[in-house]
Amino acid sequence: MPAIDLMTLSIVYITAIVILLVGYLTAISSKDIVRLLIALELMFGAVFMSLIPIFSMYANTAFAVAILTIFASGGELLVLIAAIAMQDKKKKNISTSSIRIGGDNV
Amino acid sequence: MNIEMLLLIALAGITALSTLGVLLSKDNFYAAMYMTCTLVLVATIYAFFSIEPVFILIVFVFVGAIGMVTVAIAATYRHAPERQLSVLWAIPVIITAAVLCYSIYTYVLDVSVYSVLMAPLTHYSLKFTIENFITPEYLLLFLFLTSLVVLLMLSALNIYRSDS
Repeated sequence: MPAIDLMTLSIVYITAIVILLVGYLTAISSKDIVRLLIALELMFGAVFMSLIPIFSMYANTAFAVAILTIFASGGELLVLIAAIAMQDKKKKNISTSSIRIGGDNV
Repeated sequence: MNIEMLLLIALAGITALSTLGVLLSKDNFYAAMYMTCTLVLVATIYAFFSIEPVFILIVFVFVGAIGMVTVAIAATYRHAPERQLSVLWAIPVIITAAVLCYSIYTYVLDVSVYSVLMAPLTHYSLKFTIENFITPEYLLLFLFLTSLVVLLMLSALNIYRSDS
């Protein structure tokens, strides 16, 4: 079993930050809801990654948090998948520009 | 630096490269495949730390269910999407990454921390232990969360049918 030291912590957190930044970049660069879904999954991947160090101190709590995160993010993504299907059915288009309700103009 | 550390660095590097594949690929299908690969690698890092229960949860629940549906959807809408990414976005990203790397580098090189870092791992290691994680409370939590996901899907199906 590998030990968790400062170097390990750095590797884990840097990888999590890289995944999160790429997720953000993918989200802001896409004009397509499917690409947005993929970006969200990447962001959740970064969250899972950042939970690893907590297991070294509060294993049971971290495990409960991991279970909650996995199921909550899974439910959220399932709703988004259903929204994509409905969007396609209604507008025959999955482009983000076709969504007129909600959000702000940046 | 021991072999385990090298293995962790290799895993983290492959994960980062796979993540970049999502950003750089123009086809939704390949982006979804890279995303799945990234999540499996994240789960593998959990397995590397001997946290197998979370590995199983991520691979079977997150990747096995949600990831595969995403791949299927991406394969259905398999066209190269228009990009609105400006190269100017690279500037804040590079600045953020540089600041983070510098802060971690200076922190690691701090004298007091350096002595801890270079000491034998057995003296400063923190062991991962998940004791009694299969308890009735966790089983109940599993049950509730699975019910939540099923309810969400039923609600989505209901809305979908009512729209049609």
